[in-house]
Amino acid sequence: MALFPVADARRGNAAVLASGLAPLAACLLAVPLLFGDFFAYELSLYLMYGIVAQGIALTWGRAGFLSLGQALFFGLGAYLAAFALKSQAGPAVQALLLLAAVLAPTALAYVIGVLVFMRRYESGPYFSLITLALVMFGYQLANQWSSVTGGFNGVGNIPVLFGLDRYTHHYYLVAAVCLASTALVAWLMRTPLGTLWAATAQNENRLQFFGFDTYRLKAVAWAVSAFLGALAGVLFASQQGLVTPQSSSVILSAELVIWTAVGGRAGPYGALLGAVAIGLLSTELREQFAYWEAIVAVVFIVVVLRFPEGVGGALMRLWRYSCKGFVRGAAKRAAYVPAVGGFGAAPQASFRRDGGGFALSISDVHVKQGPVRILNGLSLQAGRRGLHCLIGPNGAGKTSTFNMLTGRLPLARGSVRFNGRDVGGFGAPAMARLGVGRKFQIPSVFPELSVRDNLCIALWANRARGRALLGNSVRGWNTPTLEFMHRSFPFFAQTMDEPAGALSQGQRQMLEFAMTALAEPLLFLLDEPCAGLSVDETRHLGSVIAETVGRLDACALIVEHDMAAVEALADHVYVLHQGRLLAQGDYAQVRRNAEVQAVYAGGSK
Amino acid sequence: MDAALTVTLLNFAYQGLVLALVVLGLGIVFGMLGVMNMAHGEFLMIGAYCAVAAQNAGLSVLWGAALAVPVCGVLGCLTHYVLIRRLYNRPFDTLLATWGLSILLRKLVELVYGRGYQNVEPPVSGGISVFGVEYPGYRLFLIAAIVVLFAVLVLWYWRSSTGARLRAMIGNPTLAQAVGIDTNRLACAAFMCGVISAGVAGALLAPMVRVAPGMGLDYLLNSFFVLVVGGLGSLAGLAAGTGIVSGTQLLFATLFDQTSGYLAVLGVSIIFLWLKPDGLISRR
Repeated sequence: MALFPVADARRGNAAVLASGLAPLAACLLAVPLLFGDFFAYELSLYLMYGIVAQGIALTWGRAGFLSLGQALFFGLGAYLAAFALKSQAGPAVQALLLLAAVLAPTALAYVIGVLVFMRRYESGPYFSLITLALVMFGYQLANQWSSVTGGFNGVGNIPVLFGLDRYTHHYYLVAAVCLASTALVAWLMRTPLGTLWAATAQNENRLQFFGFDTYRLKAVAWAVSAFLGALAGVLFASQQGLVTPQSSSVILSAELVIWTAVGGRAGPYGALLGAVAIGLLSTELREQFAYWEAIVAVVFIVVVLRFPEGVGGALMRLWRYSCKGFVRGAAKRAAYVPAVGGFGAAPQASFRRDGGGFALSISDVHVKQGPVRILNGLSLQAGRRGLHCLIGPNGAGKTSTFNMLTGRLPLARGSVRFNGRDVGGFGAPAMARLGVGRKFQIPSVFPELSVRDNLCIALWANRARGRALLGNSVRGWNTPTLEFMHRSFPFFAQTMDEPAGALSQGQRQMLEFAMTALAEPLLFLLDEPCAGLSVDETRHLGSVIAETVGRLDACALIVEHDMAAVEALADHVYVLHQGRLLAQGDYAQVRRNAEVQAVYAGGSK
Repeated sequence: MDAALTVTLLNFAYQGLVLALVVLGLGIVFGMLGVMNMAHGEFLMIGAYCAVAAQNAGLSVLWGAALAVPVCGVLGCLTHYVLIRRLYNRPFDTLLATWGLSILLRKLVELVYGRGYQNVEPPVSGGISVFGVEYPGYRLFLIAAIVVLFAVLVLWYWRSSTGARLRAMIGNPTLAQAVGIDTNRLACAAFMCGVISAGVAGALLAPMVRVAPGMGLDYLLNSFFVLVVGGLGSLAGLAAGTGIVSGTQLLFATLFDQTSGYLAVLGVSIIFLWLKPDGLISRR
């Protein structure tokens, strides 16, 4: 029982891509025939802007961060292409220079993206403002470095690419690149990488606990968008024959974002539509109608406030609504069928246990936050397998222990060894890759993704890397753990295509546990897994946890307040108090312990 | 004291204090409300145009600063009512909405005053002798005025009951609401404070800079750099950030040119985001 019938997924993807691209291609071909070559020449400028806007849609609509300086890459590509086209070099060298004109901005975006995203996850406004500052710098540089860029007047007399005729044939080149970029963005959004980008936008924190370096995912997304920007810039240099600082200005960056927002940032079509429609309208109306730009700004504000999906999103909704019958039939055909066989078995998770000894060994760990000592000389060891419960009054440091173990709280002193390796100060993705899986106290899932995608992402954790994320075969992966989860939580089958945010609190607890288990960690960190569940559900989830941990031959640390559950589950109990280990042993031993009784009865400190 | 050194120090003090004044409003709004107000620079620009309006009416710049208070107060209140209030907990959308607002304000001012530069005469002309050096009198006036303003603000924040309510709201907005503080009104007041401070700064600076509809962006970015370097939520962070940013800018601009000064500050900010993502002095 895999999550996705792979063959169907491939066929479905191809069909969806074709159903969008074919009409677009027809429209693009019809333009010069219907409206003449000059209109096509004018339109091609906005098609180029549309390509840049598609890059913005990819990062903003999908990966959830907004670059306000996308014109930087457009301008950079345009200037570099201008130099390449004007160089007297041979065709081979010129081709290499043109390639560099596209790849250099791409690399630049990747490097800056890594620098900005690495240490500050969920960077939000910081990233946007940095990009704004970058484009300001690009503009100033283009204006002042006049020995190279020609300053305010720019670089002129640029020959056309491939010796095409600027006013007739060049349009077809732009149209072809536009089709290709549409296909690229639409395809990327449907790959597993696209799903991971959406997951980054919705819950970056959670994704890191599945071992994904989200900063790298985001930097890749930004690099792709910079690639599209630079590509459009190369076309721009060739089509206009003149590149001025205006092509890397704040104003153009702002317009690009507005077009993307108003057109619709959810996919490549909305962004293209926005750039072409508003761009063309603006050239017509800007001169005649003084208030035009103010009106565009107001429309943009209204879109931000009320219609986050933009015009493209609204049109899509209308389209779906108008052909509801057809869509319903199609949906029925595509509905989840628990199929058997024909799917790839997932590879083993990438971590291996080596040697004997303890899975986890914490010694004399201190964690401070400001003046508060959160962990105060905590030492504990946990064996390679079995269920270990962590109890203690509120503020004892249970969740903080988990945070410390997953790099969310810095170690002030002490050492942590996991699986025979010193892991003090490792971040959340690194710990996940070593085989530590964590479930949060408040269930943390990807709310707008389907249950299926949520499970998929968990299944990819520590298994799918690099190129595997570009093919849909990873969606067809199956593991014994997945089958066991399907059996244990039958509600998955009915809710496969529902967004995870629509599940009840209890179902989300179970989903998140299933996700943690699918990564098949060596060490489970379960923070109150049964919080908010009924007595029956608690019993059920407890037994599933016990069986999963047993099947995977793993070790689990469980924070639990419900002593009945602790008694039923725990092989071993640790009692924490004031950031230190107070007592340990089996349930009965701990219960007899006088110090533990005093702490829980509120006797002495 | 060496005359060149005195001038450099005075320049540093002047630039740093002016920057601190500009950052103040952005810092208040971002630190207290978690709202990155992208229109901050445009509110400053509107303040500067208040000075232009005052001059056109034959009044001094100081009347422009006085005019900026009600103008920016009303604008701030409206912005809070129409945009900010609806977008709490959606920080990203707030950024976009205020950014759209910045474009709108720029265009509207363009429609009224045109795109060209406006010149504003300083109310204090000529220089004053400091340690044997002739220094522009209006700059000295600004240095003194900003120092006094900051002193008053600090006293008010830590001593007045409104300051206490503000601190309660920042610490825990829900609890503050529960004990009977009207956080919506308070947030509106805080936002208005931020906008008014930007407007007054703009009016006071108008004689020293070229007033144009697009002037705001520079101030927004420089203020942002200060917040990145210094960290949010403390006056010490503001001082540290201002010192580093204006020091770097002054150094590189003196050694090379304005563009490299700007690049240096941008580079420093990216390095800070990478190495010290919470800034030099963070509340946490």
